[in-house]
Amino acid sequence: MPKENILYKFIRSLIEKIKIKKHEYIMATIEIVLSALIGFLVAGIVLYVMEYDPGEVFYIMFNYGFNDPEYLFGKAIPLIMTGLAFSIPALAGVFNIGGESQLYWGAFIGLITTYYVTQYTGIGTLGTIIGILAGILAGAAWALLIAVLRVYRGINEVITAIMLNWISYFTIIYLIIKFFTNPIIPHQSIEVPEKASLTPYPGFIIAIVGTLIVYYLLYYTDIGYKMRVSGLSPASAKYAGFDPSRAILSSMIIGGGSAGLGGSLLILAISHNIDTTMSTIYGLGFTGIGVGLLGRNHPIGIIFSALFFAGLLIGGQWVELKTGAPPMLSDAIMGIIVIALSAPYAYRLLMNYLSRLKKR
Amino acid sequence: MSQKEIAVEMRNIHKIYPDGVVALKGVDFIVKKGEIHGLLGENGAGKTTLMRILYGEIKPTKGEIKIFGERVKFSGPWDAIRKGIGMVYQHFTLVPTFTVKENLFLSLLSINPKATIDEAIEKAKQVSKQTGLRIPFDRVIEELPIGVQQRVEIIKSLIREAKILILDEPTSVLTPVETKDLFEALLKLKQQGITIIFITHKLKEVKEITDHVTVLRRGQVVGTVETSKVTEKDLARMMVEREILFKLEKKPAKPGREVLVVKDLEVYDDRGLPAVKGVTLTVREGEILGLAGVQGNGQKELAEAIAGMRPVASGKIIIDDIDVTQLSAFERYKLGLAYVPDSRKVGLIYDMNIVENVALTNLYRIISKKSRRMKWGVAEKIASEVISKLEVVAPSLSTPIKYLSGGNQQKVMVGREIVREPRAFVVTEPTQGLDVAATEFIRKTLIHLRDEGKAILLISTDLDEILQLSDRIAVIYEGKIMAIGKPEEFTLERLGLLMGGVHA
Ligand SMILES: Nc1ncnc2c1ncn2[C@@H]1O[C@H](COP(=O)(O)OP(=O)(O)O)[C@@H](O)[C@H]1O
Ligand SMILES: [Mg+2]
Repeated sequence: MPKENILYKFIRSLIEKIKIKKHEYIMATIEIVLSALIGFLVAGIVLYVMEYDPGEVFYIMFNYGFNDPEYLFGKAIPLIMTGLAFSIPALAGVFNIGGESQLYWGAFIGLITTYYVTQYTGIGTLGTIIGILAGILAGAAWALLIAVLRVYRGINEVITAIMLNWISYFTIIYLIIKFFTNPIIPHQSIEVPEKASLTPYPGFIIAIVGTLIVYYLLYYTDIGYKMRVSGLSPASAKYAGFDPSRAILSSMIIGGGSAGLGGSLLILAISHNIDTTMSTIYGLGFTGIGVGLLGRNHPIGIIFSALFFAGLLIGGQWVELKTGAPPMLSDAIMGIIVIALSAPYAYRLLMNYLSRLKKR
Repeated sequence: MSQKEIAVEMRNIHKIYPDGVVALKGVDFIVKKGEIHGLLGENGAGKTTLMRILYGEIKPTKGEIKIFGERVKFSGPWDAIRKGIGMVYQHFTLVPTFTVKENLFLSLLSINPKATIDEAIEKAKQVSKQTGLRIPFDRVIEELPIGVQQRVEIIKSLIREAKILILDEPTSVLTPVETKDLFEALLKLKQQGITIIFITHKLKEVKEITDHVTVLRRGQVVGTVETSKVTEKDLARMMVEREILFKLEKKPAKPGREVLVVKDLEVYDDRGLPAVKGVTLTVREGEILGLAGVQGNGQKELAEAIAGMRPVASGKIIIDDIDVTQLSAFERYKLGLAYVPDSRKVGLIYDMNIVENVALTNLYRIISKKSRRMKWGVAEKIASEVISKLEVVAPSLSTPIKYLSGGNQQKVMVGREIVREPRAFVVTEPTQGLDVAATEFIRKTLIHLRDEGKAILLISTDLDEILQLSDRIAVIYEGKIMAIGKPEEFTLERLGLLMGGVHA
């Protein structure tokens, strides 16, 4: 039977893969277990010193963090996308820490296009679709700016990204206050029209579809292949006759587009507006760096790592609520766990990046 | 000769590197005080290794060293520096973002922690006056030309009061004018009683500047001679003489039409200096043209220019009557050119598996034109063909290439070119670092390809390889072809002379 054959083949190739990379998988498992132990130990000590019961805090974090699926999946949507925004360029050898501002622009442009398209046409679905597309384009364009400066002017992408993050932050606040405030609630922007808005589940599905498209691009097209070759070995890329700079450009477009999609989905499916302090969208891009690292820069890994992050974030809120701990403490606990889990991989990535920087 | 007159005495030095490479086999090396002593030998003869031992950077496996008659055992370069030894490497050791004076200060600090920057400048000015080596104190190192950096490197050693100065192939990075300046400075240093060990593979330079010369071949001393008493011919013979260890079965070549033509090619190196200076070569169907030469004489730049990885300053590259000078590497591969680079780090992506690596130069067959999809099925088929044709030993196609042995990696690199049936091959150092069996396999494969009518340009610094495989031989020196002809026209001596830059 063909169906069984496919399954059989799949399992066999999986077993073979594990056999070949046995050493690597064992090392990876040891790495994760050790990291987790260290993370929880350090976090536990911090809690203990601050006079909280570590057992209780961890129990609340992991129990309440993961028991409301709709909330959890919703929270994970932008994190998946900003995780990708970091990881895709990382595969091509670029450090994109501009996922933050790429998400802002996705959210902002997504919001106003959805709003006006829905208003003028009266068709909600059209507003949603155009809003999503506009968000993707906005994020991609903003990321492309960083890439162009890097490729044609040799300006380090990390520096550009940090500056653009703040430029975007204040520009968007200004634009909202000046042109797009909600007349009824003045500290908020205009609202996504009800007929154009989504609920978390469809939003999550769109995010997954986006991730699968990225996965396909990375592993089944020449664009992705060239990006990965350039990231691992720019000299080999030149040898094969393609330009590593092109790979940088395309990786930033795809990465920025992902962050942009994250922004527009956030607006359409979760927050429905942007408040003038940016509190609902601030920080998601930075968290995305952790999501990408924890997901080992793999699209499928990133889905799971985003869910894990989302759970910790929600759990942290419950910890505040139930123990009266300040929000900084649960952030710190989450930070410690995440740093411990992603440190070994981040270290390797950084070393690789630095050695490349030297050669440039 | 009294003990006092001998600056360096190395006796019965052996060196086996941790990976088992036997680099030196019982070397005796004696240098008189106040002379310029040449150290001559082909690539891999062990020159650098011997000097790294003298400088305390690595320890000999066996042997003893005396400096000015005193028995020494160095635990690191700092010990050697204290004994008055200075070394200028092929690759410099300056801090690129520091200024010249900061670098000098740093080096003075290493012998005198209380030194001040003014002291360093004062000393350097003195040395600079004595040697005529001028340096800009306030400039940042990385902005300076290589020749000036080298001067800083020399002065750095001298302000630490070096009495023995080792220079490892100092002229390989210099322009002719810079070389002249360097030689003048070295002669002045000699007058002041400084002992100089000068490593080179250029015969003319040996004759020009050294008093004695020691020739190394395959980790052994061939002899130490007074320079004025030998001719360049003698030196060439000493450097390259050998028995051909094993001969390969080879049918006479049947060269056909011209497949790869290089015309008046000029190419610059990474620093923007001319590396290939007007090279003209023709490779015909069914022949191997061997390009001999010591490393760093423009071979890499020539190969990369032919492959399309490096821009051409002037001249033409023609494949099968098509001028490809302006085409990308990707397009040249499509037109039937294959290039096997000298470094597996360039040719292979270690973290990718065999299929993904085979795809690298076969991309034009694997990308679907309409959808840009990678046809991995096709790639897998090509990879299987490589594996079976070249008898690659690998657990499976999805094994990351880094887990294969060097020989098998090399087979993948050569094999993925063979299976796409190109007409012209440019192959550089195809057997570097391989064991005897893998070497023989690769060489036989090349002969087989020749018999199938491929045009092969073999670029190698390994004379044995050139002599075994070539139907015609060309010799490159400082970016120019010194001679080209049938193997019968080249004696070993003549090859040695040509490779050392002497017309013969
Ligand atoms: N660090 C090392 N580890 C292992 N083998 C080495 C190392 N350095 C040099 N060799 C090997 O030792 C031999 C002598 O090399 P080297 O001293 O660099 O020669 P030369 O300077 O005359 O070209 C060569 O076969 C080379 O491959
Ligand atoms: Mg050397």
